Amino acid sequence: MNKTLKSSAIALTLTMASMIANANDTMSFVSWGGSTQEAQQEAWAIPFSAISNIKVIQDGPTDYGKLKAMVESGNVQWDLVDVEADFAYRAAAEGLLEPLDFSIIDTTDIDPRFVSDYGIGSFYFSFVLAYNKNSLSSEPSSWEALFDLDTYPGKRALYKWPSPGVLEMALIADGVEPENLYPLDLDRAFAKLDTIKDNIIWWGGGAQSQQLLASGEASMGMFWNGRIFSLQEDGLPVGVNWKENLVMSDFLVIPKGAKNKDAAMKFLAYSTSAQGQADFASLTAYSPINKKSEELIDSGLNAYLPTSYTSDQVSLDYQYWAKNGQEISARWNTWLLK
Amino acid sequence: MSVRIYRQKWKDASLLLPIILFLGVFFLIPLIGLLVQSVTQPQLGLTNFAELLATSTYLKVLGNTFLVATLVTIFAVLLGFPLAWCITLFPKGWGRFLLNVVLLSMWTSLLARTYSWLVLLQSSGVLNKILMGLGIIDQPLPLVHNLAGVIIGMTYIMIPFIVLPLQASMSAIDPMVLQAASICGASSRTVFFKVFLPLCKSGIFSGSLMVFVMSLGYYVTPALLGGVSNMMLPEFIVQQVQNFLNWGIASASASILIAVTLVLFYLYLKVQTESPTSSNTKD
Repeated sequence: MNKTLKSSAIALTLTMASMIANANDTMSFVSWGGSTQEAQQEAWAIPFSAISNIKVIQDGPTDYGKLKAMVESGNVQWDLVDVEADFAYRAAAEGLLEPLDFSIIDTTDIDPRFVSDYGIGSFYFSFVLAYNKNSLSSEPSSWEALFDLDTYPGKRALYKWPSPGVLEMALIADGVEPENLYPLDLDRAFAKLDTIKDNIIWWGGGAQSQQLLASGEASMGMFWNGRIFSLQEDGLPVGVNWKENLVMSDFLVIPKGAKNKDAAMKFLAYSTSAQGQADFASLTAYSPINKKSEELIDSGLNAYLPTSYTSDQVSLDYQYWAKNGQEISARWNTWLLK
Repeated sequence: MSVRIYRQKWKDASLLLPIILFLGVFFLIPLIGLLVQSVTQPQLGLTNFAELLATSTYLKVLGNTFLVATLVTIFAVLLGFPLAWCITLFPKGWGRFLLNVVLLSMWTSLLARTYSWLVLLQSSGVLNKILMGLGIIDQPLPLVHNLAGVIIGMTYIMIPFIVLPLQASMSAIDPMVLQAASICGASSRTVFFKVFLPLCKSGIFSGSLMVFVMSLGYYVTPALLGGVSNMMLPEFIVQQVQNFLNWGIASASASILIAVTLVLFYLYLKVQTESPTSSNTKD
């Protein structure tokens, strides 16, 4: 009796000690802040910590300059970082990332568009044509409408940074077939944008884009679908057209020399799992990259998810941008300041 | 005797030691490290500077930066001067109230203030709605997402930095001097231009230098209130560092910014022999 008690006490102590040891495992997760990161915390970090006993510390916002500085100085504070897909490819080429361990991360159900050796999609979203219903008398039905200032008056809100999206949109509006987009015909894209240049208001972040559209400052523009979803949830008079929505994605990457690499791999595995992706999608209306997630998502959300508009999708070529981004940005700045 | 004075001087100067150490370790060394990159990345040499100064885009950004900083300084002085004067003239009643307003605006979050300007100035904003409601205009005025927006927003943010030094030098002016001038027969115009204004010179100088230099380095306000063709150097640097990882160009631009600031500061010290606080008239 006494012996049993004693051994169970030892067992208990041992279990507790190992639990404490596990609970001391921490890793940092870095994303863009705002509602996206909150959703990532709720859908991924909290359940993951509960299962694995690894504490996830949230940090941010993502800053490519900081990431590079950390890797180069050998003092890497970040373990898992949410970055844009084209950056993931570029950073991999520049040797800033850890190769992923596919014995921990299961990619069988993940859409191959979002898998690479150094990063896996954290979610995907679409650039969509959205408009303020109060500012327009008729509803625009394609990207061409964005360039038709007579029928659809008002300012256009476009994404400010030279990254995949705006140039492709201009080319499609100019009649280029989606499969012939790459390599980008920059002259043609900028010439098309020239026709509305004076009517463009540039947005640099999600909140700013929402403000522009909701206030009617811009009558239409190109937006991240999740931001439009949250405007619609708030009951604002905002419409979306999904024709030729442009697919862009964020990737999760592990900076080279990350101190908690193994924990980060496990967290990456959880966040790209069917459940993790489904939970995140339910909170944000960004699409899961895991094909098994769809059945776990409430069907009411379908109307807002890019996954429901796959036949209308145009995939942006991240690898093309990773290679040519620098050159395009120089042209982009020159054009903007002209 | 002189040894004692010498020793005393060193003792006084040693008070500076903590701050010199702090700035040296946490500011100067990292700064130098960063600036060195302008001549080492991607290869050794002055290619970054050559590229900066040869590309019309970069020159345009530089030009924009100085244009905005100059305009903001001019408007801040024009608006700040009467405000500082009011604060000095009525140190108890309205003056104190105005001073508190100035301070309060300085303590409010920069982002909040910038977004408030957006609410006021945008074409569906308060100002345009009022003007259109009154029938003064029938098309909304383009007040934001352009140069006008940047100037309005930044001038407002810079006003405290001109009012505080100006007010300091104005309140140091002995009112008797002005009185003496008018007793000697100077018209109020002459008193203002020949006596009062020269005495405010140091305040105007230090205030506008501060505003000018701060404006050169401003990021948030121009990024939110300006159009893209108004890109200023700080935004350009952020873009190069964060988006393109093009650190050579970024640190070359930063070096130019710092060099210009240092030159201005040197000129200021040259022109300005008296220190801002010594403009009292007792000696």
